Amino acid sequence: MTAQVPSERYLQPVKRADHSQSGNPGTSPFPAENRWAEREPMDPVSAAADFRTVLIRRTVRSGQSIHYPGNIVVMGDVNPGAELVAGGNIVVMGHLRGMAHAGATGNEQAVVAAFRLTPTQLRIANHITRAPDGEGHKPDQPEVARIHGGAVIIERYPATGVRNLNG
Amino acid sequence: MGEVIVITSGKGGVGKTTTTANIGTGLALLGKRVVLVDTDIGLRNLDVVMGLENRIVYDIVDVANGNCRLKQALIRDKRFDDLYLLPAAQTKDKTAVNTQQMVDLCAQLKEEFEYVIIDCPAGIEQGFKNAIAGAEKAVVVTTPEVAAVRDADRVIGLLEAAELRDPKLVINRVRPAMVKKGDMMDIEDMLEILAIKLLGVVPDDESIIVSTNRGEPAVLDRNSLAGEAFMHIARRISGEEVPFMDLGANDSLMTKLKKLVGLGR
Ligand SMILES: Nc1ncnc2c1ncn2[C@@H]1O[C@H](COP(=O)(O)OP(=O)(O)O)[C@@H](O)[C@H]1O
Ligand SMILES: [Mg+2]
Repeated sequence: MTAQVPSERYLQPVKRADHSQSGNPGTSPFPAENRWAEREPMDPVSAAADFRTVLIRRTVRSGQSIHYPGNIVVMGDVNPGAELVAGGNIVVMGHLRGMAHAGATGNEQAVVAAFRLTPTQLRIANHITRAPDGEGHKPDQPEVARIHGGAVIIERYPATGVRNLNG
Repeated sequence: MGEVIVITSGKGGVGKTTTTANIGTGLALLGKRVVLVDTDIGLRNLDVVMGLENRIVYDIVDVANGNCRLKQALIRDKRFDDLYLLPAAQTKDKTAVNTQQMVDLCAQLKEEFEYVIIDCPAGIEQGFKNAIAGAEKAVVVTTPEVAAVRDADRVIGLLEAAELRDPKLVINRVRPAMVKKGDMMDIEDMLEILAIKLLGVVPDDESIIVSTNRGEPAVLDRNSLAGEAFMHIARRISGEEVPFMDLGANDSLMTKLKKLVGLGR
């Protein structure tokens, strides 16, 4: 898989959604087009690549990189100096502090989700973002980054708030 | 049969050689039979820190290439009969020894000694590969600075890839006053990122410079705070449970440190 190198001009600080306002109820941070069940069937090869997922069950440390044509799921932390590059989505069930590039072959629907999302740099398709300078934002909840309105935004996950177990 | 422990860090100047000299001398103080191996070929200084420079005749390269027998190259310490040093060569470079030679050398040394402590050079190239080749355990030294922690993380990844499981962490040159003010990288944050077991925290201490220049490791100086911290580390390596020193950090940090290593509540 050859990842597209996003152009410099997209290197804008990321916008973090205002968490004080409760999210628009009923919207999933995973866009509908991104849900496999609702998607038009593509040619079998690229479709298979999209749905394949690799599971990494350890801390991904500085200097280590994981490139995968499908989705990447990490059960552990991704430290500064580490990089994840996925053709599809990236989910980190831990603290993402390194670099993550989702939709690296051009999929703008791809998302990056993490239990704690404070990447050094975050890329989706050909957009690159970083945290605004001097911002020591420490999220205390899971978040998802996706492209919205031509820019990468970060939202709380799940955007709908707490799941109601009583139905 | 002894154990082979490599002292490593990635970054230079964080205290690997100081740690090697002090852990080795500390273990000798506890009555253990110890050999220190300097693998920093071309930049040797463990011999200077141990005050043994003037006794070197043969070195690790001579042993690896069969120019002398292992016994001939081992230098006995001035103070302890059961403490030895295998010095690095100063006029060669890291390629003068290969990993297989290191594996063989370590195998030979652990027949003779209870602890084989290897001082690793900075970097992650040939010298590092040699230093870890024959080791079974690893101690990663870092200072409370972002760059040192980044390199420590890199090295931990490489150790794990080389099947050197469960490396232990030494945080060196901690300045209690700066920790209190929050100006040094938080020990808790370091432990959270590196996610390995803490072996000890050593304060930044002028007595280290004095002892280094005299060729007498700080563990021998009863008035050295850093020496005391290194002695505690030596004890922990020998299997004792030793509580963490109070470096004047706030109480909650000390409590957390104790919890992290399973001491106290
Ligand atoms: N705890 C400490 N307090 C004060 N100085 C220290 C301490 N630890 C190491 N030093 C000093 O830092 C320098 C580098 O230490 P050294 O052990 O040679 O590092 P390395 O082997 O990792 O390159 C030396 O001058 C040493 O005296
Ligand atoms: Mg050194």
